[in-house]
Amino acid sequence: MSQTKGKVLCVDDEPNILRSLKWMLQKEFEVLTATSGQAGLMLVADHDFDVVISDQRMPGMMGSEFLREVRKRSPRSMRILLTGYSDLQAILRSVNESEVFRFISKPWKIDELPGVVAEAALIAKTQPVPAPIAEAEEAPATVATGVETVLLVDDDSSIFDMLCREVGEQVHVSFAHDLGEAVAAFDREAVGVIVAETRVKGIDMTRMLKLLKQEKPDIVTVVITDKTDAEEVISLINQGQVYRFIPKPVIPAMLKIVVNSARAKRTQLRNAPEIAHRHAVDKISEEARISLAKDIESASHAGGSGGGLMDRVTGGLGHLFGSR
Amino acid sequence: MELSSVATNGSSQTGGSKTAAAESRRQHAAAKHFQLVRYFSLASLVMFVLVALALTYFESQQSGFFKQVQKEEGDFFKKVQDDFSNQQDAAARRDLLTIHEAGNVNLTRLFANALWEKDFAPFVAKAQDIPVDHCRSITDLKDEKDGKLKPPPEKKACFSEVGKKIMAIKGFADLNSKVYDSMKKSTVFKIKVYDLRGITVYSSENAQIGEDKADNAGWIGAAKEGKAKSELVFRDKFSAFEGTVEKRDLIQSYLPVLQPGSDTIVSVFEIYSDVTPFLDQIKKTAAGIKKTATDNQAKVEQASATNQGKVEDFSTQTLIIVLALMLILFGALFVIVHRADAIIARQETEQQQAQQQLAQAEKMASLGQMVAGVAHQLNTPLAFTHSNVSMAMQAIDGYEKPLKLASGISALVKSAGADQISISLESLKAQASGIEESDLDASMPKEMLSDTLQGIEQMRELVENLRDFTRLDRNKTARFDLNKGLHNVIYIAKSVIPTRIQVVEEFGQLPLIECNVSQINQVFLNLINNAAQAIAGDGTITVRSRMEGNRVRVDVTDTGSGIAADALPHIWENYFTTTASGDGTGLGLPVARTIVEEHGGEISVTETSGAGTTFTVLLPAGA
Ligand SMILES: Nc1ncnc2c1ncn2[C@@H]1O[C@H](COP(=O)(O)OP(=O)(O)OP(=O)(O)O)[C@@H](O)[C@H]1O
Ligand SMILES: [Mg+2]
Repeated sequence: MSQTKGKVLCVDDEPNILRSLKWMLQKEFEVLTATSGQAGLMLVADHDFDVVISDQRMPGMMGSEFLREVRKRSPRSMRILLTGYSDLQAILRSVNESEVFRFISKPWKIDELPGVVAEAALIAKTQPVPAPIAEAEEAPATVATGVETVLLVDDDSSIFDMLCREVGEQVHVSFAHDLGEAVAAFDREAVGVIVAETRVKGIDMTRMLKLLKQEKPDIVTVVITDKTDAEEVISLINQGQVYRFIPKPVIPAMLKIVVNSARAKRTQLRNAPEIAHRHAVDKISEEARISLAKDIESASHAGGSGGGLMDRVTGGLGHLFGSR
Repeated sequence: MELSSVATNGSSQTGGSKTAAAESRRQHAAAKHFQLVRYFSLASLVMFVLVALALTYFESQQSGFFKQVQKEEGDFFKKVQDDFSNQQDAAARRDLLTIHEAGNVNLTRLFANALWEKDFAPFVAKAQDIPVDHCRSITDLKDEKDGKLKPPPEKKACFSEVGKKIMAIKGFADLNSKVYDSMKKSTVFKIKVYDLRGITVYSSENAQIGEDKADNAGWIGAAKEGKAKSELVFRDKFSAFEGTVEKRDLIQSYLPVLQPGSDTIVSVFEIYSDVTPFLDQIKKTAAGIKKTATDNQAKVEQASATNQGKVEDFSTQTLIIVLALMLILFGALFVIVHRADAIIARQETEQQQAQQQLAQAEKMASLGQMVAGVAHQLNTPLAFTHSNVSMAMQAIDGYEKPLKLASGISALVKSAGADQISISLESLKAQASGIEESDLDASMPKEMLSDTLQGIEQMRELVENLRDFTRLDRNKTARFDLNKGLHNVIYIAKSVIPTRIQVVEEFGQLPLIECNVSQINQVFLNLINNAAQAIAGDGTITVRSRMEGNRVRVDVTDTGSGIAADALPHIWENYFTTTASGDGTGLGLPVARTIVEEHGGEISVTETSGAGTTFTVLLPAGA
């Protein structure tokens, strides 16, 4: 069956689900199924899958655990997590540990899921596999070559102090208090990694992060979460391909590891931009785009006093939404 | 059918009685509550009355005492005054006597000097010679009235005879007139002269001459001892120099007459001098003093009455003030107690509300958990049935073309005669060109639909479970198959607890028990959740049910971390939790205990160690 679009592994403890998935996908893909994580891993050892789809809640091995193992054993396979009822903790873990490509919530839509799987399979087949990035405290030497900025967008300056203490010696860290300042910073500096809260001064930052990833896929995003809900995290992954989540309260060592890892990823993306295709995102809606533009404008009005700032914000906007 | 009717009856009855019991408990608490104010009012009113009585008693006692003291003082004062006036009177009389005696002595001297040598001495000498012994020898007779010896009339006549003899002595008339002359216009009313035998030798009242006075104490004192003796006497009628006088105070003096120039007593004088004016004076003074004393006494009595009145007024005032103060105190205390009571009542209702909110919160939490669990359970069949039905519909879409072709052929076949079939292969080919082999496989859509049916069956089962779980979720009790309930709870709990935890059911034979189903479900859901929370990795929760005596015993055993010794005493407290903040409310166990105890049962930790924990619930089976 060399004419199929790819080889897909489906893992779920519920046989009915597996059958249904198989019926749906078997026209376009070669589909194998397993009813547990362990069985799935055995298949992974024997086959070269383009896409691995797993349910999150399974007895024994959880979906996120299974996908983490898959990422280790078969890095080129794209990972998709099916979530029904899921707790935030499991989702965050799966993001940070297994770097999933998409979350698909149950029940899925039969006219969408095959498309997502096809996209994933295409990426797996065509895009090069990145070298694994060690979760080391010290960033790889290659990073030092860059003169890029780590931008923190947060209304809490204590995290900025912490960030400076942890990585300030190796990299330039700049700080934006709000959306306006963040946009201005993009215009002013070459930002490689952005660390942001989901809400800054009451304004939703997730739209900006998603848009940023859409326009500039090689910028690595890290999100500090407090009381985010699962929905938000899922949309941040699917539309923003957030690299890592840091739970609050922020632990300095954790911040350091995550930021260094993000910088390494950034280096990887810059050196081989095609890898970014592995992090392709769903487009955000037009309304979200418009509301973001409005917020940026009002933020710059509220904070802006000098005439130059407005220009810079506008410039930043242009830079962000670059009409290239 | 029968069971359900029994359940309804039972539930309505026991439900009623249970609510009634709860109601009465509440009322009991309320009654206890009101009794605070009532008891306070009653006790303090009684105290109030007692104190008032005691005060009145003491006050009256005090005023009585005061009255007594006043009276004694008054009496004393009166006695002093009386003594004083009596003494004063006596002194005045004594003084009068003394003065007049001295006056009479002097008068006698003067009289004697003037008349004795020339007139009286020879006269007395002559009179003394007249014999009297024959008169004296007449014996006295006993008086019949008072039993005293009294001289008989012959004796008096005998002495009267002597008197006549004396008056017959020459010079008597001369003497008598001399005495009268010198005594006229004086206060002396009478003069008598006795010889040394005691015979009256002269009297200005001539009738008395000759009388024997030898037994008279005054005569004896003067004649034998030479002592003057005076006495104050009162006479209604008295024959004086000027004639008979009436109502007179007189001083009667017996005076010895001495031989001039010697101490020899030669005779005895008896002089009556009038002191009526003096005595009147004294009496007047005494009366004045008496009046003053009486006035004083009256004043003292009036003052004491006034004082008494004042004291009584004062004590009444004191009493009124104290009573008023006590009334105010009572009022203030009453207000305070009333307010305190209101505050306590409010706090109680607040606490009750808080308790209700607690229970509500816990209920909502477990409800939320349940909803999440149900949503998850529902989600799986929903996912594949939805997908399958969509695909089956696509498959049916694929049958459209072949079916059209088939219907065309069948129409053709039907319209033509048996031996004249002419099929235009060209047109059929065109129609069949769009038909793919795979579209014609009817077995797959059938399988899809049969899976869908399975999914629908799963959902139906779930809904059934759910209905059982929340059955009669009103504040009502029902006869309930606890094993079935436990199975449901486990089913629901499984959807939210991690899948690496196994839940084992070991159910024994149980009778139906009377209970509030949703509350009992909540108890076991809480216990199973706690058990799951205590298990970090893989583990097992065993739910065991059996009869123990006449009670139903359910053990929930986990293979978790156990309860730390320092946490064990606190696990039943509201808000006690060892879970990370935000995860647990710490209400699970206290709510469970409240529910179990309301059912007349017990809940406890029967075993806990590093290897796990067992919670045991005992419920009365007969209830
Ligand atoms: N099976 C168990 N094993 C070990 N510890 C337990 C167990 N059950 C209860 N505990 C301890 O008792 C504490 C109180 O339990 P409780 O159910 O009242 O509150 P919670 O579980 O912390 O919060 P909530 O139930 O409101 O979500 C728990 O925090 C835990 O420390
Ligand atoms: Mg609990």
